[in-house]
Amino acid sequence: MLIISPREVAFGGAVWTGIAAAVVDRSAAQTIEEFGENGPYAAFADVPRQRVRVRIVQDVVGEEGHTAPGPGQEAVLSITMAQAGRPRSRRLSTKAVILAVEHEVSLKRGSVRTITLAAVSIDGAADPITIESL
Amino acid sequence: MSTTFKGLALFSSGPHRLTVSRQGQLVLSEAFETPPAPGSRYIGPVELRIEISGRLIAASESALWLLRDAMTAQLLDPPAPGLLVDSHGRNFADMSFVRFAPLGPVDRGRMLSLAYTARFLRFRQYPQ
Repeated sequence: MLIISPREVAFGGAVWTGIAAAVVDRSAAQTIEEFGENGPYAAFADVPRQRVRVRIVQDVVGEEGHTAPGPGQEAVLSITMAQAGRPRSRRLSTKAVILAVEHEVSLKRGSVRTITLAAVSIDGAADPITIESL
Repeated sequence: MSTTFKGLALFSSGPHRLTVSRQGQLVLSEAFETPPAPGSRYIGPVELRIEISGRLIAASESALWLLRDAMTAQLLDPPAPGLLVDSHGRNFADMSFVRFAPLGPVDRGRMLSLAYTARFLRFRQYPQ
């Protein structure tokens, strides 16, 4: 899921500004692929463990010092986005833990910060990402 | 066709593979005997051992337990031999189901599943 220029991104009480994009990636943390006796192809496949990662790409202007987000911080991440052709916005929410805060600096693009977060399910069974219309 | 034991399709919920273990003489080295000798001593033919490795698959917790319970209900004491038939129709008579071993916790993805091995022996003699 790719969200270009979301209206607002908040992490706990902090509102992150200058967000260029937010990305939700899903990948398998564990896979099952079982083969039987009838031939060479897998007869069963499943993904019993999934990782959901949220990446926030932020244009950084000026100095922030110790107020910048850091790994290990946990809070509710909410991303408000406009719906094409619709007056109402939608909000993506998830409990999330920051895994990495990385910066890239170039003359062409300036300073870009990428914050990578692990989305955490409430009970391990429910999808950690919820989307609601506002 | 599915693999059966005593006519029960215990393994058909998921893919499984059957391995017939080594056959032939049990041979012991004479190197540690008194006095030591350089040769080997044959004891007799090893028991036929068959391992089935597979995965039980169900849509719910209770359905998976039904599959597990059906399997473990055949672990009798003393063992009662029966006919094991593999998925290609090969018959193995006089086999006793002696061990069911889950290979880890239940995996909860799209389906609930449990990897396992099941061991069957053709005992040399009954009763022991």
